[in-house]
Amino acid sequence: MLELAIGIILGCCALGAGAAMIAGIGPGIGEGNAVAAACEAIGRQPESKSDVTSTMLMGCAVAETTGLYALVIAILLIFVAPRIFVSILMETIGR
Amino acid sequence: MINWFKNIDATVKKESLYIASVTGILSLLLQAAFLVTRHWDYTVLLGNALGAATAAGNFLLMGVTVQKALGREQKSASDLMKLSQRLRLLMQLGVVVLGVVLPCFNIYAVIIPLFFPRIGIMVRPLIKGEGK
Repeated sequence: MLELAIGIILGCCALGAGAAMIAGIGPGIGEGNAVAAACEAIGRQPESKSDVTSTMLMGCAVAETTGLYALVIAILLIFVAPRIFVSILMETIGR
Repeated sequence: MINWFKNIDATVKKESLYIASVTGILSLLLQAAFLVTRHWDYTVLLGNALGAATAAGNFLLMGVTVQKALGREQKSASDLMKLSQRLRLLMQLGVVVLGVVLPCFNIYAVIIPLFFPRIGIMVRPLIKGEGK
């Protein structure tokens, strides 16, 4: 029974980590759209290339942080959370 | 390597330098915070170095990708950026896993510097006095 409970905890942590990493897809799509729009903008006004590149770089870095949050949550769910949950389980059943 | 660096756009170089500077300054503050809380040891230094190098390198790689993407068609540029973002996220995943698995790195000192570029962008208007 205890093995089953630990297995469920580990499985749920792995599922949660996988679900968290779905958020890693969003920044890529956002950055792609931003760069596509920047290409169009620079095509219209080539003299503003420096300003557009600078603003877009900052925007892309901000967008990428969302993916990083997801990455950190996934890592914590895989490496840190199982240990904590299993110790809570052990304390609860008195082992 | 030197040729590769010479080919980087001046704007990308300037922004990467700014991000690297902010990451360096915040890394020093992080070391100081670990020292003050008496949790400092060599793993913090190594972890911080790994995290900060990854954060700054990730920004530089993003800049280089943007520079390459701007010379392409819209669809091709968008696809290149998506691919680059996924590869860079994988790189960061690898670094964080290294930080967790290897005992010579402090996990918090690896993860925290990854967010320094975001902080640098947040404080940029204050430093440059933009938006006045």
